[in-house]
Amino acid sequence: MSTATSLHQSRKRKNSVMMTLCVAAAGIGLAWLALILGALLYKGLSGVNLAVFTEMTPPPGDSGGLLNAIYGSIVMTIIGVVVGTPIGVLAGTYMAEYGRFSKLTTVVRFINDILLSAPSIIIGLFVYELMVRPMGHFSAIAGAVALAILVIPVVVRTTEDMLNLVPNALREAGTAIGAPRWVVIKSVAYRAALSGIVTGILLSIARISGETAPLLFTALNNQFWSSNLNAPMASLPVTIFQFALSPYEEWQQLAWTGALIITLTVLALSIFARSLTGRREDK
Amino acid sequence: MSQMLSPDMTIAAEAIAGKAKIEVKNLNFYYGQSKALKDITLSLPERSVTAFIGPSGCGKSTLLRVFNRIYELYPKQTAEGQVLLDGQNVLDRSQDLNLLRTKIGMVFQKPTPFPMSIYENIAFGVRLYEKISKSEMDGRVEQALKRAALWTEVKDKLNASGLSLSGGQQQRLCIARTVAVKPEVILLDEPASALDPLSTAKIEELIDELQADYTIVIVTHNMQQAARVSKQTAFMYLGELVEFDRTEKIFTSPREKRTQDYITGRFG
Repeated sequence: MSTATSLHQSRKRKNSVMMTLCVAAAGIGLAWLALILGALLYKGLSGVNLAVFTEMTPPPGDSGGLLNAIYGSIVMTIIGVVVGTPIGVLAGTYMAEYGRFSKLTTVVRFINDILLSAPSIIIGLFVYELMVRPMGHFSAIAGAVALAILVIPVVVRTTEDMLNLVPNALREAGTAIGAPRWVVIKSVAYRAALSGIVTGILLSIARISGETAPLLFTALNNQFWSSNLNAPMASLPVTIFQFALSPYEEWQQLAWTGALIITLTVLALSIFARSLTGRREDK
Repeated sequence: MSQMLSPDMTIAAEAIAGKAKIEVKNLNFYYGQSKALKDITLSLPERSVTAFIGPSGCGKSTLLRVFNRIYELYPKQTAEGQVLLDGQNVLDRSQDLNLLRTKIGMVFQKPTPFPMSIYENIAFGVRLYEKISKSEMDGRVEQALKRAALWTEVKDKLNASGLSLSGGQQQRLCIARTVAVKPEVILLDEPASALDPLSTAKIEELIDELQADYTIVIVTHNMQQAARVSKQTAFMYLGELVEFDRTEKIFTSPREKRTQDYITGRFG
């Protein structure tokens, strides 16, 4: 009887120790996040004005904005997503539907997982060798390709996972009514997995919009307005990188503001993605 | 064991009234190496309800899934022998599977409405093989829903998601969807096992009405259900067809001891 009680007591003690550790760990994680967000808001918000969105990046010592960098980020992100998403979705579809039982799928999944965790600077170097060197100069299109390569593994993974969550019974039902395989995939499986696949795409946008390393080797930077895809193009992350390291106060301020813009955009995308998945779980 | 088809059983099978719609001849089925169906031979009469009963894992669902070759969605599942639909072997390589499946509809154990509106759930299958106008489609949808005794419950919310219906309604929607493509045979794989008694009663009523136009095969765990809805019953055990006869004969005076033991609840 007394051993049972003491056992119970020691379990309770272990439980409270464990719980304290877990809460502390969660608290530390959250605290950093709050600190980062707080610092960004504090330092960045003061620099937000109309000029940020209407003027080009200034030379040192001058005032200006981030228009060319914002434009470059949007253009390269869009091209990256437009190029990467179809490839990712189709590859994920192959893995979850046509090739569900094939060896190739296992191999592709393994390679995709490696790609998913590959340092993005390596992707930048790869595209540098593939495009920048042969072309002889840095270009926005090379930057967009590097971003597309980063999009693909994220989209492949989420597409495959989401399609695998679609119950087989639904596929059987579509097949049993006489629908060919591709119609079952398009009209039944995609529809059932839609919010999950869209979430994956949004998360991939969130990921690439903050990438700096792959752009350093590909799109480089541009102090001036440029919409030429065949020329170097500015982007927010690279501009932040350059300006934050500089000794000039105006540049540092713009770096803080740019960081705030990226963070808020990514935050908004993540919340939107969450709300999509949340709605699906409600059903 | 090898004397499965005793001479008098063949006679009994012939005594089952009606022209054969589906004839199964020496059918063997394998999941990889393991044999799930052993030399099945039986014939299912047209416009009539046939029930497959037997304990879990006896092969009754497997047999059903051979008829529309839905098993081919998965690798390493193979069928040998013949399944004749109006004299044509559906196991033939040259058989167009999608066309076959428009002739042989199937309803599953768990209701499987497509993730679209009630209307679209039915129009989806029709649109695959017919080009018809909006008003004709409206008519087809209404007709199918009426046929499945669901029309009065959903006629004011045809654009609502199929997933918003109750389980029993979803299952009737699946039946409506199957009926809408005008099949000749309807396969029901334990269609009521996930439903409450009231919904079950509705489904059974529906099956009773549908047999005027369709050849129906129902797999069921529920022996009372088999007795209520079917004209003839096949009892399967461990991949073998033990006995196939008129339903009242199976449930009152079965020839085989194993059938007797199963229906009286001594095993299974």
